[in-house]
Amino acid sequence: MDSALIPKGAKRCPFPVFAAGLSIVGVVLLWGVFAMGLCWLKGLNQTNMNDNYGFALWIWADLAVIAVGGGAFFTGLLKYVFGIDELKNIINLAVVVGFICYSSALLILAIDIGQPLRGWFIFWHANVHSMLTEVAFCLSLYFSVLTIEFIPLILENRQIDKVPFFHNLSHNMHGAMAVFAATGAFLSCFHQGSLGGVAGVLYGRPFAYREGLLVWPWTFFLFTWSAAAYGPCFTLMITKIFEGITGKKLVKDNVVHLLAKISGWMITTYIIAKIIDTIYWMGVTAPSMGFSVMDFYTSNAFYGIWILILEVIVCGIVPAVLLITKRYRENPKLLLLAIVLGVIGVCLNRWVMVLQVMAIPVMSFDQWALYLPSWQEVATTILPVAYGIILISLAYRYLPMFPQEQELYSEK
Amino acid sequence: MTQQNHGNVHKFGMVIDLDKCTGCGSCMVACMSENNVPFKEDETNKLDSITWMRVYKITNGKSFPDTEVCYIPRPCMHCGGKGDHGHSPCVSVCPAVATDYGHDTGIVSQIYTRCFGCRYCMAACPYHARYFNWWDPKWPEGMEEYLSPDVSPRMRGVVEKCSFCYHRYQAARDKMYHEEREIMEEDEYQTACTQACPAGAIIFGDLNNPEHEVHKLVKPDPHHCGRPKNPNAFRLLERLQTNPKVYYISSREWVRKAGDNYLEGEWEKAKKNGHGKGHN
Amino acid sequence: MKIDRRSFLGLGLGVAAGVAVSPATWKLMDDSSIWTQNWPWTPVPRDGEVSFDNTVCSLCSGHCGISVRKIAGRPVKIEGREDYPVNQGGVCLHGISGLQYLYDPARVKYPMVKKDGTWTKVGWEEAVSLVASKLGDLRAAGTPDALACISGKEQGTIPGLFKRLLMASGSQNFFTMESMENTWDITMSRLHGINASPGYDLQNCDYILSFGCGFIEGWGSQVNNFLVNSSRKERNACFVQIECRLSNTAASSDMWVPAQPGTEADLALGICGVMVAEKLYDADYVKNFSRGFDEFVKILKESYTLEKVASTTGLEKSKIQAIARSFAKAKAPIAISGRGKGLSAGSSKEFAAIHALNCLAGNINKKGGVWTLPKTDDMQWPALEMDGLATKGYALKPVDDSKSVAGMFAKVNASKEPVVSALMVYEANPCFSLHDAKAVQEAVKKIPFVVSFSSYMDDTAKLADVILPSHMYLERSEDICGSPGMVQKVVGLSQPIVEPLFDTKNPGDAVIMIAKAMDGTIAESFPWDSYEACLESVAGDLWSTLTQEGFSVQEGDVPTDKPPVDFSFLAQNSQSITAEGDKKSFPLILVPIDNVRLAAGAVASSPFAVKTVADNVLKTNSSFVEINPETADDMDLSHGDDVIITTPRGSAEVKVNVNEGIMPGVAAMAAGLGRSAQENIYVDGKGVNVNELIGQVMDAASGLDAAWGIRAKISKA
Ligand SMILES: Nc1nc2c(c(=O)[nH]1)N[C@H]1C(S)=C(S)[C@@H](COP(=O)(O)OP(=O)(O)OC[C@H]3O[C@@H](n4cnc5c(=O)[nH]c(N)nc54)[C@H](O)[C@@H]3O)O[C@H]1N2
Ligand SMILES: Nc1nc2c(c(=O)[nH]1)N[C@H]1C(S)=C(S)[C@@H](COP(=O)(O)OP(=O)(O)OC[C@H]3O[C@@H](n4cnc5c(=O)[nH]c(N)nc54)[C@H](O)[C@@H]3O)O[C@H]1N2
Ligand code: SF4
Ligand code: SF4
Ligand code: SF4
Ligand code: SF4
Ligand code: SF4
Ligand SMILES: [Mo]
Repeated sequence: MDSALIPKGAKRCPFPVFAAGLSIVGVVLLWGVFAMGLCWLKGLNQTNMNDNYGFALWIWADLAVIAVGGGAFFTGLLKYVFGIDELKNIINLAVVVGFICYSSALLILAIDIGQPLRGWFIFWHANVHSMLTEVAFCLSLYFSVLTIEFIPLILENRQIDKVPFFHNLSHNMHGAMAVFAATGAFLSCFHQGSLGGVAGVLYGRPFAYREGLLVWPWTFFLFTWSAAAYGPCFTLMITKIFEGITGKKLVKDNVVHLLAKISGWMITTYIIAKIIDTIYWMGVTAPSMGFSVMDFYTSNAFYGIWILILEVIVCGIVPAVLLITKRYRENPKLLLLAIVLGVIGVCLNRWVMVLQVMAIPVMSFDQWALYLPSWQEVATTILPVAYGIILISLAYRYLPMFPQEQELYSEK
Repeated sequence: MTQQNHGNVHKFGMVIDLDKCTGCGSCMVACMSENNVPFKEDETNKLDSITWMRVYKITNGKSFPDTEVCYIPRPCMHCGGKGDHGHSPCVSVCPAVATDYGHDTGIVSQIYTRCFGCRYCMAACPYHARYFNWWDPKWPEGMEEYLSPDVSPRMRGVVEKCSFCYHRYQAARDKMYHEEREIMEEDEYQTACTQACPAGAIIFGDLNNPEHEVHKLVKPDPHHCGRPKNPNAFRLLERLQTNPKVYYISSREWVRKAGDNYLEGEWEKAKKNGHGKGHN
Repeated sequence: MKIDRRSFLGLGLGVAAGVAVSPATWKLMDDSSIWTQNWPWTPVPRDGEVSFDNTVCSLCSGHCGISVRKIAGRPVKIEGREDYPVNQGGVCLHGISGLQYLYDPARVKYPMVKKDGTWTKVGWEEAVSLVASKLGDLRAAGTPDALACISGKEQGTIPGLFKRLLMASGSQNFFTMESMENTWDITMSRLHGINASPGYDLQNCDYILSFGCGFIEGWGSQVNNFLVNSSRKERNACFVQIECRLSNTAASSDMWVPAQPGTEADLALGICGVMVAEKLYDADYVKNFSRGFDEFVKILKESYTLEKVASTTGLEKSKIQAIARSFAKAKAPIAISGRGKGLSAGSSKEFAAIHALNCLAGNINKKGGVWTLPKTDDMQWPALEMDGLATKGYALKPVDDSKSVAGMFAKVNASKEPVVSALMVYEANPCFSLHDAKAVQEAVKKIPFVVSFSSYMDDTAKLADVILPSHMYLERSEDICGSPGMVQKVVGLSQPIVEPLFDTKNPGDAVIMIAKAMDGTIAESFPWDSYEACLESVAGDLWSTLTQEGFSVQEGDVPTDKPPVDFSFLAQNSQSITAEGDKKSFPLILVPIDNVRLAAGAVASSPFAVKTVADNVLKTNSSFVEINPETADDMDLSHGDDVIITTPRGSAEVKVNVNEGIMPGVAAMAAGLGRSAQENIYVDGKGVNVNELIGQVMDAASGLDAAWGIRAKISKA
């Protein structure tokens, strides 16, 4: 039915199966759209956020998707700037995932703000001291870069490619891609960092606050580093999910292992930095504000000290060791374990840096605040996931996302 | 402390005498009434209940009959921020300059029409002084008639907080200019909560003016960003260097200690050197 | 034209570029944000010229002077009047919320008559003639005394008009809602044999010994108390609070003495005992001016020894001695009585015992002491015409000999015959604020004809047959007399600061209309054209001061006389008032809490006030019961648990509030919640009315309801 659009030689499931699959996801998407509509029409009373939890699930989702979308900039950086050419075989996927993550982040921000129609004030009336201003600028600029990186892939669609203009455009854009990728990497470094800065500059919140370099708190650097380190885990995780669903091998092992190894070393260096940061914060920063570490953790199920152990050891040291060790990395099960732990780790870090910051009492007579999201928040957070699945499925079906796909076929 | 403004540089501040405060709540209601603060059917979830002035009740943690209670009224602290340069925790993070530091007054403003509701400022404020309008403000039929034109009612989706009754400052300043005077008298600009407090527990004035009661009461130390020299006076969370312009006075040690966070043994040490203000 | 791929693309790009650079996009963006800044559903208050009008707040008996800020004639804010002797600029949160009462959704907007259980709007003429004819029927039936009236207050010309209407038609049954003031006055007559009210010269005293008074919560003249409390440091004065719970008053006191609830009389007598034993009393005063002292001392020595009192009150002996010594040694000590806001009468023995302390200290009619202020009515009423029927009816005894409202309702419930056939209720809400409120509601339902003069649909108005809605206090003229406990006598003039919003009337006018609609001497007794005219003529000399200053104050000069003290009432050693219920089935004692942020009387709290109430007093629609952690542990309860509290009078679902500041074994619930009307969603229907859980306990000596609590048990819901 739609075979004319499918990349030459690629095998895809029959259209009705595809359409059925999409429509199931489509229902979830509509649910999310409905919730989004409620939030826009009725306001943020549709959420369970409150004056203690001004930032909640959405901001976490924002930070998390951008962290995992970090695979795009980091892979781009490695390929175009450091010239690691093998990565061209996974860069398309990285770009699509990145595009989805960043567009989702922008969408969530547009729902999250109380006055969406005034959202542009952040550009027009920008306060250069605010980390959020930095985030907004870098995020939108990098989103434009990702769009530009995404376009050539779209143009490679069999039908579009037939048009000489598009063919040439695509060719020329590929030529210029290194420039965009480099720009993107730079921008991304900044906004990943400024997202880290969002919490790190809060000197009224001893749990979040960090000293730093010039105007940037250490979390600035830690966020950039962790996005670069864990982002590829997410790219790999998506690859594995694709391979699982399609039952086909789509990226060669050497590419996967290379990216896994790089990610492993990045996580290793990151987690060392994170541990140093944590120790300094526990020993110097927080005590100078009158807090001991255990003041930041409670006996309730939400914010026990387990969360720190899980983040740093289980989802930090463990995947780092698994990924830098050749034997483990090349064991498919351990590899999968490592990348899943990695993704959880970075998401957990963002969770802690958003929600735990809000939960902890600062005034000595204040109380812990707990929060559970409303269905509208959950639905609007799942919305981008559904949208992502649809977009990536379309991209997989109609675009040559995995250049090695056919080669791997023939090998079989 | 020096400020680089030309003209009269005020630093308006408040001193709340916790020995006098009874926890009656008049200040809360005076503020709501003065500033068109809305109310809704259920206000028992205190995490979505707009109270620019909120009276906290704290206890000494001892069991019956040694329990003691103290009430702590908490408006916006109008933080001077680190170094008292006006980089208040909230002002420094607002991406759209919807909240700003008035260098001529020391007042932290909130401009509702500029605010786009990102709530970053709320995340930044350790005092929970900021409130978000989760709902459209609604008054029962006819009751909008009592709204004051001096303060615009806020639309849904923006943040609001105590303004030190800025409109009263504007009115006093206009009067002063109109009468071609250079000096604003202490009683010309007083906040609604100060005026209403039946206990006279709230004192308001210019911390820069040694003639003003607030200055006399706390004796702000110009070399330490206004840290009080009066040993019974303290500011909430002094150690975070937010440099509030709201001071508290209490003759009770446990109350002063509750004003900040201390590691074990620190309070005793802090008491010995200086007067229990922690380090800065 | 053939649309090939190329032109299609060109078109697409063109459109995109066009949209991007078109001013329309930017304009739309700008306009949409401007729209959000001017949402038509967010009100924009009208501006205009500023003016201030003075009047008096009559939401409680404190009677503070207030100043209403107006914009173009529209009231926008209530502030304290700086020059008013009672409050000197301060106002309580209820007073500030006054405009919410003006626009209260529960306002009764026009006269209403209940027909077949539903309210029907009627005109004033019709409503008044209905009431007049019902009252006429009573007289025609020869039972003019079957008419009763309950007024929230005793003094002033509007209660005066009601009283006059009853007198002219032939009934003694004018009741005022009982309060601590009744028992104060009883104490004055018992101990001093005079018709007087006590005045407490608190500004000049240096030691206040308070027996459970809600000095901060609303006792006496609340805002005045705040001034006294705040100036304590400068005056070197001490405040001691005796109470089983760490209330706001206890929290702001110098010493909190948690004695077992209900043992205040014992404690006071125990302190008397120490003063006598240690010869710490004013021997001159006692010797020269007292009767029954020796018998009193004998009782003290027999029944109120330190050991006994220590064991009943649960206090250390040394503590009682210390209080006695510091009280006696103070230059100007005052002991004050009346629980909480003083909204119930209290025990006459307790009040007398407490006043005995003042007598022993010899601090009567001195600067910084208790003053005996003769009860006088400065209003000059013209003579009243009574016809034969009226004279006959008026000669009959009132339904309740002690003139207790609670007693009256008890009689209504107890008797088969209708002892009250018509009831008028003015500024009172007995169905809410009397103990055993459920039984009171039954009694009201039993009365054939009930007329409410309420401005709001409240628990009592709901059960009435006719409502003749009054202007609320900001809409009307009225003389506002007295602020309880103060030594100065202040009469304020309430002035209409706004045109009445609805088809309501000054209740004074309503009474005059009713009287005029009746015949003969009744109509003749009300010669005025309007209430305003009545007020002006009755106020006499006061009128010009009132209109010029807004108030008149008789600066309290210390009374010069030394009233004698008769201790024989105390020497009778009557029974103390105990809590109803047996200890076995009801192991706890439930006491009501008068919360400073909740109005517990006739008028409900405002939305603002309710908003300030803590979330461990009210959560969504649930009340809380406060218990000590020890009590909670014993019963395996924790904070926030849903429980059922049961007393001999009823039960209610509430939540647990674990509070260190309450005595183990005591349970406490906030009063003022659980209003049953439904008109004001911000206030009504929230929480439980504690008065439905507490029964009446009649004081044999005063005949008034002296209940201070009740035994209770708590079980998991
Ligand atoms: N921190 C801070 N900085 C501010 C502002 C603020 O509020 N806070 N406000 C800003 C604003 S709105 C303004 S307008 C500017 C004003 O900034 P400036 O223009 O710097 O204002 P001034 O300090 O009042 O005056 C400048 C100098 O002019 C001198 N002067 C006075 N009269 C005369 C004259 O007749 N002839 C000459 N040649 N000199 C004269 C004065 O002595 C003074 O040294 O500051 C801006 N900068
Ligand atoms: N004695 C003396 N008087 C002077 C001068 C002098 O040199 N000496 N200088 C004069 C000069 S040049 C100037 S410019 C003026 C400056 O004096 P002002 O007009 O008072 O200006 P600012 O000093 O900026 O203070 C304005 C206040 O508005 C708040 N604000 C900021 N943005 C907004 C907003 O969008 N909406 C609202 N409602 N409030 C906002 C700020 O927090 C700040 O507190 O003073 C003049 N007056
Ligand atoms: S009005 Fe005064 S006494 Fe009452 S709570 Fe506020 S500060 Fe305290
Ligand atoms: S108290 Fe909070 S809102 Fe007020 S200035 Fe300080 S940080 Fe900002
Ligand atoms: S919520 Fe409004 S005031 Fe606060 S940071 Fe965002 S834009 Fe600024
Ligand atoms: S200063 Fe004004 S705005 Fe601030 S709490 Fe007091 S009354 Fe409210
Ligand atoms: S104390 Fe009573 S009279 Fe005074 S303002 Fe409050 S309610 Fe009104
Ligand atoms: Mo200026």
